Amino acid sequence: MQADKITVTGFRHFFKTEGGDVQATGSIDIAIRPGEFVTLVGPSGCGKTTLLKAIAGFITPTEGTILCDGKPVRGPGRDRGVVFQELAILPWRTVRRNIGHGLEIARVPKAERDRAVARLIDLMGLAGFEDRYPHELSGGMRQRVAVARTWAADPEIILMDEPFAAVDAMTRLTLQEELGRLCATTRKTVFFITHSVEEAVFLADRVLVMTKRPGTIKAVLDVPRHDAGGRDWDSFTSDPEMRAIAEQVMHLVHAERVA
Amino acid sequence: MTPSLEKLIWRVLPAVPAVVVVVAWAIYWQIERPPPSIIPSVADVVVTLFEQTLSGELLTDIAASVGRLLLGAAFGIATGVAAGFVAGLHRPVSEFLNPLVIFFNAISGIVWLPLVIGWLGVGSALATFLIWNTVFFIVFQNTVLGVQLVPEVLEQGVRTLGAGRWETIRSVTLPGALPYILTGIRSGLGFGWRALIAAELVGANTGLGHLIFSGAEYHRADIIIGGCLTIGVIATAMDRWLLLPIERRTVRRWGMITDAQGR
Ligand SMILES: Nc1ncnc2c1ncn2[C@@H]1O[C@H](COP(=O)(O)OP(=O)(O)OP(=O)(O)O)[C@@H](O)[C@H]1O
Ligand SMILES: [Mg+2]
Repeated sequence: MQADKITVTGFRHFFKTEGGDVQATGSIDIAIRPGEFVTLVGPSGCGKTTLLKAIAGFITPTEGTILCDGKPVRGPGRDRGVVFQELAILPWRTVRRNIGHGLEIARVPKAERDRAVARLIDLMGLAGFEDRYPHELSGGMRQRVAVARTWAADPEIILMDEPFAAVDAMTRLTLQEELGRLCATTRKTVFFITHSVEEAVFLADRVLVMTKRPGTIKAVLDVPRHDAGGRDWDSFTSDPEMRAIAEQVMHLVHAERVA
Repeated sequence: MTPSLEKLIWRVLPAVPAVVVVVAWAIYWQIERPPPSIIPSVADVVVTLFEQTLSGELLTDIAASVGRLLLGAAFGIATGVAAGFVAGLHRPVSEFLNPLVIFFNAISGIVWLPLVIGWLGVGSALATFLIWNTVFFIVFQNTVLGVQLVPEVLEQGVRTLGAGRWETIRSVTLPGALPYILTGIRSGLGFGWRALIAAELVGANTGLGHLIFSGAEYHRADIIIGGCLTIGVIATAMDRWLLLPIERRTVRRWGMITDAQGR
């Protein structure tokens, strides 16, 4: 039994505002194993982003502890890559320089950096746009740059906050398959927030469902993996076991609908 | 209308008001014949400017003025941006500086003139100080605003890539604040000209302000108007060929400032 990669214990968070404290989450306990792909679904405003930002090191929990590799999280670090819900790529850097930024910071030699960036540009379907600035791209393309940028820095843990929300349905299917395959082969630990139940089940080793604000973990569902690589949508949609899990998650989520 | 023709028209259009004014001035002068010491003819002004150019006098004054302006503005921009960054990044610093800035901003500009003449005497030091004193506050306040308005998520993004404090400032805060810094520099230079001319009117023996002042002493309206025209032309040229290209290559290229029509 390997030690957990991420451990959240008794996490509760309150935001201090002019109008008093806002409770963002109830008490949350999570343990994520190395190489595990965990997805989180829950109603809007239930505290998903708050939890993710706490793991990333941008929010100091009001209560509870967060450990990464057994060490308490004290701030952001390059071991935990983040794809934010809002677009966080830099408008003043071209696609190429945005994706290569992490490697640039790590002082990876240019030739090596260019190779890594070129590979990701191909993978993300951004070929031909290397020297464009973000404002010259579509919303979906920008989001793909953001994913590629995080991926290029090669962190052990990747935290993603609805990364494909702005991507068109067709591209999304491809990206989901690619992400699943990449994660399965590179054994990265992923914590992935989404609104889409299908997406949550498709990508996950484990799905967490949250209650409405102040959110707590309402249910945890294991999604068995029959293949070593990632899943593909064709076999996923025709697999009755997967359909059953998706339906179960759907029921859980619906019960939490914000009226 | 073809796009290139439209572009050409927009390039020429800003010159139209100037031409209209000159033509109206010429016509008025032909009809009214006012005394040249009050309103000179267009020809008088042109001839005077021409003579001043030939004698080298005009160029010397321009060089003196532009030199002081650039020196004072360079100090003002450097200190304004640096202080603006420190204040923009640290809440306590900005709260400490705010009352000071408001206090001294209210008495910046030529209010200092009578006092500073005593300290620095007449000449470049005086003009440079007054320009710095004007440019600094405008650049400072714009920089603080610019730094504070950089979306936090952009900084958080590069920090998860492993960026430290300096890398974050260099790659996020600085370019992110640039639209405001450039705006500060543009308006700072405009007000810098005013401070410069005011300083030179009484506190210098060279420069365009001094030229205008001597014109006033001899009741030479042609010299005064010629000096004013020179100032306006240089200021416009500097904006067009120095600042606008910087803006076009940075914040416009990055899509941080867009024209309503997306031109
Ligand atoms: N900076 C903040 N200050 C005050 N309240 C906040 C702040 N950030 C979030 N909240 C509140 O905390 C609660 C949880 O916010 P959070 O962003 O974590 O929700 P979420 O689950 O990510 O929602 P969504 O699915 O819409 O992104 C919300 O009710 C929100 O209003
Ligand atoms: Mg969110």
